[in-house]
Amino acid sequence: MHLSGRNCFVVSYDIMDPRRLQRVHKSMKGFGEPIHYSVFRCNLTPKGRVELIAALTGLIKHDQDRIMIIDLGPADGGADDRIEFIGVRAVDSSPKAVIV
Amino acid sequence: MPDLIPARMLAEFAYCPRLCYIEWIDGEFADNEDTVDGRFQHRRVDEDTENDPMDDDLEAIHLRSVSLAGPEVGVTCRIDLLEKEGKRATPVEYKRGKAPDIPEGAYEPERVQLCAQGLVLRENGFQCEQGIVYFVRSRKRVPVTFDKALVKRTRGLISELRRAAIEKKIPPPLKESPKCNRCSLAGICLPDEVNLLREMEEKRGSEKGIMVRVRKLIPARDDYQPVYVVGHGNSLRKKGDVLEIWSRDEGRIKEVRLREISQVNLYGAVDVSTPALVDLMQRGIPVLHFTRGGWFQGVSLGHTHKNVELRMKQFEWAADRKRSLAIARSMISGKIKNCRTQLRRNDPEPSAAVLESLDRLSRDAKKASSAEKLLGIEGAAAELYFGRLDRLLKGNEDFSLQSRNRRPPKDPVNAVLSYLYAVLAKEMFVTLLAVGFDPYLGFYHRPRYGRPALALDMMEEFRPMIADSTAITLFNKRELGDKDFIRTGLGIALTSKGKKTVIGGYERQMEAEITHPLFGYTVSYRRIFEVQVRLLSRVLFGEIKEYPAFSRR
Ligand code: SF4
Repeated sequence: MHLSGRNCFVVSYDIMDPRRLQRVHKSMKGFGEPIHYSVFRCNLTPKGRVELIAALTGLIKHDQDRIMIIDLGPADGGADDRIEFIGVRAVDSSPKAVIV
Repeated sequence: MPDLIPARMLAEFAYCPRLCYIEWIDGEFADNEDTVDGRFQHRRVDEDTENDPMDDDLEAIHLRSVSLAGPEVGVTCRIDLLEKEGKRATPVEYKRGKAPDIPEGAYEPERVQLCAQGLVLRENGFQCEQGIVYFVRSRKRVPVTFDKALVKRTRGLISELRRAAIEKKIPPPLKESPKCNRCSLAGICLPDEVNLLREMEEKRGSEKGIMVRVRKLIPARDDYQPVYVVGHGNSLRKKGDVLEIWSRDEGRIKEVRLREISQVNLYGAVDVSTPALVDLMQRGIPVLHFTRGGWFQGVSLGHTHKNVELRMKQFEWAADRKRSLAIARSMISGKIKNCRTQLRRNDPEPSAAVLESLDRLSRDAKKASSAEKLLGIEGAAAELYFGRLDRLLKGNEDFSLQSRNRRPPKDPVNAVLSYLYAVLAKEMFVTLLAVGFDPYLGFYHRPRYGRPALALDMMEEFRPMIADSTAITLFNKRELGDKDFIRTGLGIALTSKGKKTVIGGYERQMEAEITHPLFGYTVSYRRIFEVQVRLLSRVLFGEIKEYPAFSRR
């Protein structure tokens, strides 16, 4: 059981309708960082994961669109090392205090 | 108390009486994976007609989400699905997850909840002999017969719960129950912590040094993070589920996901758009406003906390000198202990005499006969402590601490200390609000306009470890230098960049994970704040006798 830690998830989606696509993209920005076109990386608690699924379930058309969620394990347990970037590296998204 | 018991609450009561009490009487709630998923599954079943467990049975009438009251039974309920055939009615309750492999088919809480619904239906003129639990994951209908034993048990629980509600007595935590492992209220209830403290209080004198294993049921750190915006010309806007921070000169400088924010701190004139403010309020995220110099001006907050009982208790205790003094004594004694630990660990040549005196003063504080005496003891300890603190600034000979001064501070070290104490008070303020206290009414500090007295009380024991340590580290590691300070006519102040450095150092300290001296688990200081504030509430409710100040050895 993960009481504290967040797991790193890669979420990718194929949405058939541009309006829905926009809505899904907007909703995803509330959960993680876009690392590619239609691919996000999200560091989520178990609760966050369920909230993500609940949010997306309400947005998509289940007979047309598809979403894939890959669990890369604990976010601070080397999940990053399991993502190889060639070219421009995407920024990390772990939440920390914001001071500006 | 509310007149009628919701059947759902009766199920909670059967599961754990304390859980039900905290939710229903104290009005507290916390989500975890299970509760969010539970609601999600419920919603899914509600929307998904293809999954209707009864769609092959055309004879019956199906009603969804039926609300009914049974004043005589003393219960109200919302029935997920009601199957009706003439006078005969069968309530169906959806449960997430799979049907358990037990002879009864369903666990007691579900059976009791259904039976209570059945009793309400009977009171409303229906014939009702059984109900059905529909397990969503295994898509299985499990019948529950309302036999004599179940009806008796249900009625028994109803009157037990009524009594608890009338007597306003919170049931004790379960003892080492596996139920607590998945309970979303574990961080509020603190089952093992409360049990341990009670056990220690009972055994005091006779048997020392019991160390029960306390399970770590609270997360090591927060899921949410604070946001600080320092300086004029910045503004906050909302875009979707993201909070954008704009600077007048540089455009958008930062995006923060709203669901990951714990608090928003605004220093100086920072604009917040109304949509951003309303969204933050709806999420229960406090927005704190400070002057440029760090003076706390107030808070924008959504609906206030529902735990009215706690505030009533707080007012009762604050009005009672003796009981206020008892709490203050623990806090100040703990603070002096922590001052001593700070010197013992970090002073290159600790003075045995000073340590000895602090030890004595900490014990004296425990026995102080009046608030005035306590104030004197605290003052004497502070003088000893600050007299030695300069020696801890060993890594940076450019700065020193001659004596503690403020309003306005006369030297950089004092400027940083003052700034950190203000940030620390803010943190306690937010924690107290979250737990349901009124931060303005204290037990040691007396009320004065605009002064969050209880926040000042509660931060006493943390000053040395959080504020003083952070200041020392920042100077010793040379993260702060001359350029971070400006001389004003009256004293010394931090520049904007200096403030951000100080806040950064403070946040590092707050996120540092340390071992709790009493409970033995490792969590961040921020979590410890919450644990301490919750323990204070347990003292006010009479569950533990003495406030256990946080003190490191
Ligand atoms: S943590 Fe345990 S004792 Fe406390 S409310 Fe939850 S189940 Fe009950």
